Amino acid sequence: MAEFSWASRSPLEDVLVVGAYGARDVEPGISLTEVRNFDLIQMMARRGKWAEMASTAKDRFGVAAPDVPKAVSASDVTLIWSGPDQFLVLSKGGKHAMDILSQAFSQSASLSDQSHARALISVSGTKARAMLAKLSSLDLHPASFPIGAAAATSIDHTSVNLWRGNDRPDGQAVFNLLVFATFAESLWHTMLDAAAEYGVDIRLSEELG
Amino acid sequence: MRIVCPFCGERELGEFTYLGDAKPLRPAAGGSEDEVFDYVYLRDNIAGETSEHWYHGGGCRAWLKIARNTLTHEISSVEPAAGVGQAAK
Ligand SMILES: [Zn+2]
Repeated sequence: MAEFSWASRSPLEDVLVVGAYGARDVEPGISLTEVRNFDLIQMMARRGKWAEMASTAKDRFGVAAPDVPKAVSASDVTLIWSGPDQFLVLSKGGKHAMDILSQAFSQSASLSDQSHARALISVSGTKARAMLAKLSSLDLHPASFPIGAAAATSIDHTSVNLWRGNDRPDGQAVFNLLVFATFAESLWHTMLDAAAEYGVDIRLSEELG
Repeated sequence: MRIVCPFCGERELGEFTYLGDAKPLRPAAGGSEDEVFDYVYLRDNIAGETSEHWYHGGGCRAWLKIARNTLTHEISSVEPAAGVGQAAK
């Protein structure tokens, strides 16, 4: 029998080049970071079971499940609203992985493991909003899109989950973006095109922000 | 045109897909051929206020029921479509 090795790899592995991109001799206005190796579970309440699911989520994660477009974080997990009666669970290290959550929520929710089905890209820097304004029709001004704001939206005709994480230590806003794996490469190129004029600092990370 | 999704807020038209008339109700099981023909094929071509189904596929993926004026494109209401169009009991 043939032996197979199913090594998981990032959908951006062939295109992401760590380092400087675009305009040179300027302080990079954009920092683009791909975060790799995370656990991501799509949770959807079964019909009429949102309250039960939310209650289980509160016990399990220690934060209230988002029922409006927001991302809420505890020390080891982020819950990202993705639609009515549904949210994504983003974490690392297996503590909130599929096998564990599917037990905990077996009575109230349907779960789908998206850990290797999405790419996670984080956008920051002094020109982050200017760059995203070329791609998104959402108003990302701090007054409209504060820390913890989330949206299920489309960028370049591609569905994404976008949310604002905690600011970087230097005070710059951070916009996190989950995109379907098969669209990640296309979106990555679009983002590089939009960011190039500001100078880009491309990085890889294993840490959730 | 923009649509205010009851879940997501105001979004551009490109995130939505038009399905069609929200008025027809599926005939009860055993409905006559005429009723089914009417349900599947016959639509009014309204100049004025219509009731329509739209899909927020570029956002929260909810189905919506929208009241829209075909003369002005003014949208007077947007609500979740869950349960709308179900067969008569
Ligand atoms: Zn929506």
